[in-house]
Amino acid sequence: MNHSFVPKAADMLVVGPETIVAAAAMLILLAELMPARISKAAAPWIAALGLLASFIPMTTTGISVRTGFSGMVVTDGFAVLMKAVLAVTGLLTIGFSTHYIKREDLDRAEYYALVLFAISGMMLMASSANLIMVFLSLEILSISLYVLSGFARTQPRSQEASLKYFLLGSFASAFLLYGIALVYGGAGTISLAGIANAIASEGAARNPVLLAGAGLIAVGLGFKVAAVPFQMWTPDVYEGAPSSVTAFMSVGAKAAGFAALARVFLTAFGDIKVDWMPALWAVAALTMIVGNVVAVAQTDIKRMLAYSSIAHAGYILVGLAAANQAGVSALVFYLAAYLFMNLGAWAVVILAGRRGEAGTEIDSYNGLFWRNPGAAAAMGVFMFALAGLPPTGGFMAKFYVFSAALQANMVGLVVIGALTSLVSVYYYARVTVVMFMRDPEPDAAPISTRGLLGVTLAVTAAATIYLGVLPGQLFQLAGLAQIARP
Amino acid sequence: MQTLTEHILSIVIFLPLAAGAIILLAPPGANRFFKWFSFVTGVVVFGLSLPLYTGFRSGIAGPQFVEQAPWISLFGQQAIWYRVGVDGISLFLVLLTTFLTPVAILSSWNAITTRQREFYASLLILETGMIGVFAALDMFLFYIFWEAMLIPMYFLIGMWGGPNRVYATIKFILFTMFGSLLMLVAIIALFFVHHRATGVYTFDLFSLYGTPLTGRAEFLMFGAFALAFAIKVPLWPLHTWLPDAHVEAPTAGSVILAGVLLKMGTYGFLRFCLPLFPSASAALVPVIAALAIIGIIYGALVAYAQQDIKRLVAYSSVAHLGFVTLGIFTFSIEGIEGGIVQMVSHGLSTGALFLIVGMIYERRHTRDMSQFGGIWKAMPVFGAFFLIVTLASIGLPGLSGFVGEFLVIVGAYKVSAVYAALAASGVVLAAVYMLWLYQRMMQGPVENPENADLPDLSFREIVVLLPVVALIFLIGVFPRATMLRQMDASVRQTIELVEGRNGLPSRVAESPELPVGRLGCRGTGAWDMDVRGARPRTWMSGAIGFGAVGSQAIGMQPHPNPPLKGEGASPNPPVKVDGDRLLLDFTSASHDAVGNVR
Amino acid sequence: MVPTAHYVILSALLFTTGVVGVLVRRNPIIMFMSIELMLNSANLAFVAFARHLRSLDGQVFVFIVMAVAAAEVAVGLAIIVAIFRTRATIDVDELNVMKW
Repeated sequence: MNHSFVPKAADMLVVGPETIVAAAAMLILLAELMPARISKAAAPWIAALGLLASFIPMTTTGISVRTGFSGMVVTDGFAVLMKAVLAVTGLLTIGFSTHYIKREDLDRAEYYALVLFAISGMMLMASSANLIMVFLSLEILSISLYVLSGFARTQPRSQEASLKYFLLGSFASAFLLYGIALVYGGAGTISLAGIANAIASEGAARNPVLLAGAGLIAVGLGFKVAAVPFQMWTPDVYEGAPSSVTAFMSVGAKAAGFAALARVFLTAFGDIKVDWMPALWAVAALTMIVGNVVAVAQTDIKRMLAYSSIAHAGYILVGLAAANQAGVSALVFYLAAYLFMNLGAWAVVILAGRRGEAGTEIDSYNGLFWRNPGAAAAMGVFMFALAGLPPTGGFMAKFYVFSAALQANMVGLVVIGALTSLVSVYYYARVTVVMFMRDPEPDAAPISTRGLLGVTLAVTAAATIYLGVLPGQLFQLAGLAQIARP
Repeated sequence: MQTLTEHILSIVIFLPLAAGAIILLAPPGANRFFKWFSFVTGVVVFGLSLPLYTGFRSGIAGPQFVEQAPWISLFGQQAIWYRVGVDGISLFLVLLTTFLTPVAILSSWNAITTRQREFYASLLILETGMIGVFAALDMFLFYIFWEAMLIPMYFLIGMWGGPNRVYATIKFILFTMFGSLLMLVAIIALFFVHHRATGVYTFDLFSLYGTPLTGRAEFLMFGAFALAFAIKVPLWPLHTWLPDAHVEAPTAGSVILAGVLLKMGTYGFLRFCLPLFPSASAALVPVIAALAIIGIIYGALVAYAQQDIKRLVAYSSVAHLGFVTLGIFTFSIEGIEGGIVQMVSHGLSTGALFLIVGMIYERRHTRDMSQFGGIWKAMPVFGAFFLIVTLASIGLPGLSGFVGEFLVIVGAYKVSAVYAALAASGVVLAAVYMLWLYQRMMQGPVENPENADLPDLSFREIVVLLPVVALIFLIGVFPRATMLRQMDASVRQTIELVEGRNGLPSRVAESPELPVGRLGCRGTGAWDMDVRGARPRTWMSGAIGFGAVGSQAIGMQPHPNPPLKGEGASPNPPVKVDGDRLLLDFTSASHDAVGNVR
Repeated sequence: MVPTAHYVILSALLFTTGVVGVLVRRNPIIMFMSIELMLNSANLAFVAFARHLRSLDGQVFVFIVMAVAAAEVAVGLAIIVAIFRTRATIDVDELNVMKW
């Protein structure tokens, strides 16, 4: 084994994207030495360039399987695609943040640095081949997100969101860590490959310490992806955090959590999937039911989107519960489609909101059509996409997930998914009702679509429809999202 | 010109969508442009759809004007195709759609005053969805159109509807989605069952026809499909969304809803439920027939009790569509053909009734029957049209409604005299409430002074109604030449597909000389097929099963043509290509063979 | 020598104490200390297992965890201070601008 402390190029390539993103974040912090006016203006561009540059190592490694740093990290089709999803999430986040943080007086360069740090943690999570790497990358992204959710530090709601997220997030991390410790005791190692070997060769499969550890790891990651019954932090944090941050974490943190869940459970615990599949089945079903049913009762759009994001975690869990290659591909495709439709919806929330996080009640969308037809139409697209109606990416994503589950003969789970989708149609349709079928308040002024935010809206809406009409390419790409078996 | 004729069906499907997109991109406020542009588009699309009728070759069971292109590959196979075509069953529904859309556009000329850009765009986008549903030959494509079509209809009711429009449109979309989401599960399940049997991932409808299913799976899938279609039809007791949607929808929405959307349910029964799940269909005939007959009688009785004219017409639709469903589930040539004629006839007569209700509503702003009386004196032309349409709806001989109802009753009689008797009583009840409606509105003294000097129909309104009435007469007088002749082969094939799986005697159902067609062969024997005139890319796909042993896919593509030479690329020994004939020799084994030649 | 199982049981007890503390106490500082207790119970388990397995990996993990915990403390206390500045209270039950 090579114990040199100088990393080799081959090692660095494996974690190339996250390294570049983290470097860009540090560059932003350094740029703050310059006059505030310049550093503020430069920060989003540095961030965007960093995210774009992170595609270079992704295309270099492609879907080839490589490990680095003595097997601590790995890159494969799955990791690269998840990193691409995260990089696009980051780019779109920048797209709708510039306008928002100026309006809310949060225009500080470290906002972008924190977003980038969080993304580097998320990317690292998709590449982790060792449980301690999962823990470390989870903490990188979590700590960045704790700060980001409290970024409006004078706003009581933002403070509250930050504290709640912090307490429950570290609570979840502690579960994860204790689970890792137990797995270490049960399998004698915490590298994913080593655990898989231990389970295969030594019959550790029936070791109660290992199984308990696996369960605690699932709980810890379940918190991160907001799976029921670990979802209780979601609505408060999503409602209280600044909208742009909520949007970012509703996709990014979820993608990272699922990346870790998929990799850990399909590689390390792949041989004992008969043990965890029923549990995941139940969690997926519960998540879909609770998320969708509770969303119906919401009157605040941020809260409604929070419950909707819980519900969507349920659909992604269906792909995971299938525990087959189609399920993994479906998970990647779902996240890719979800990122566009969900970030698009949040972009409209940002556009329609007013200074001080006002105007987030669903009723304040009354007659949005008359105030900004373009934004209303885009929101309509996102709502129908989130509800899973064709021709949108949301439908294709659900179709793919359901296909994967039916391939694994999970008819019951798919029927639950279909029926909960029906519930979701109700609350998403309600948003379109207020936008298109009610008249605006008499004092409501027209809303103009500005610069980068408008571009973000157009891109997300176009991508959502594109994925609904011509999903073939992304289906094929998602088919390459194979998790390397150690 | 070449592209035009080769892609005529795709053009008919997507031209309205393109026009709708152009309208949406135009600046708001150009209302005259929106009206004229969408109307002209509607007429052009109708004009373009006429070659489908004139060029349609009767006697061919399989789809014609087929177009296909690979669309999405799934699990490493080209599983999803863009594949469209019309056969004797779907042809008339496509035409009905292209015909009613410009009529609906013209009827909205003065009725729609707000957000005209979005209104006309929605109507045109809706047309694409509706034609797509009838023309799709790939289950996935079908589902996309089936669901996507909900969105413009949702907005049509919700944005331009009556006072209770939001409730009505949410109810509409939730009811419809309830059925179709379960259908989606069944479609995907069928896809996997087919894959397990053949190793082929495909959503091609005709390939899926032969899928072997266990009894329980077949019943469950039939249930999921039937639920989706029964809600759409709507079959009693799933009809409650319909009166609300109709009452709240703008006239154009009601015309399209009654004229086309409801037919998707009955079309779905005929196209999907029967051939895909023949055993379950046959076993559940008593249930479906009972629901259909309850619908016929219940619809008629409730219609009789209505004060709101639109609600009355809506309930009459429940009754009429009950006839169609009953006809389809007789599995007889008369019943099914009667059902199809009734679909078209109901589309025309009920569409016209909604137009008429809309016209009187524009004048009086009420739909309460008791507000009217003696309208004939003020509006004789209106009265004449109303009378013809009323009589067509009742089923007077010589008008289209008679053909459909008569054939359905004949078909029903073959199954059970009780069905026929109950259905016939529905005809009598229809006469009661329709004539009562007509009498109360049009005849008698003018009691309400507001009705005394209503203006008669304008030129535009006559232009709206005249073609509808003309078609009602045409179909009523020449049903064989206009409709039945074209649909014979397809209907027979559907019946054979159903009966073949139920152990009834069945045999090769194919006419030779098909460029595009469907093969079916059961029992033992040699079977051959002439493929002269086939397109350059001819292949055969489908499943050939040998008894209970298993089944196997055969594929030969592409062939030089004409003539086909030598052995096909088929891995399956029984298929031989001899000159321009395809030989399938099954003398050695007991088997079922179904497949498609394109 | 104390058997490994005893350490593991002790760590499980500490972990449970931490969980109960987070769920029962309403002062964020105490809740946070309970979370630290959970992290340290994991550390204890790591060390115990490392000794049992005669491998140094587990001992190294403890250092990593301690570093991470320190980072969490920094952020957590900063959040609590920010809240105390605007409201002069940090009881989570009084943090009820939104539904908890």
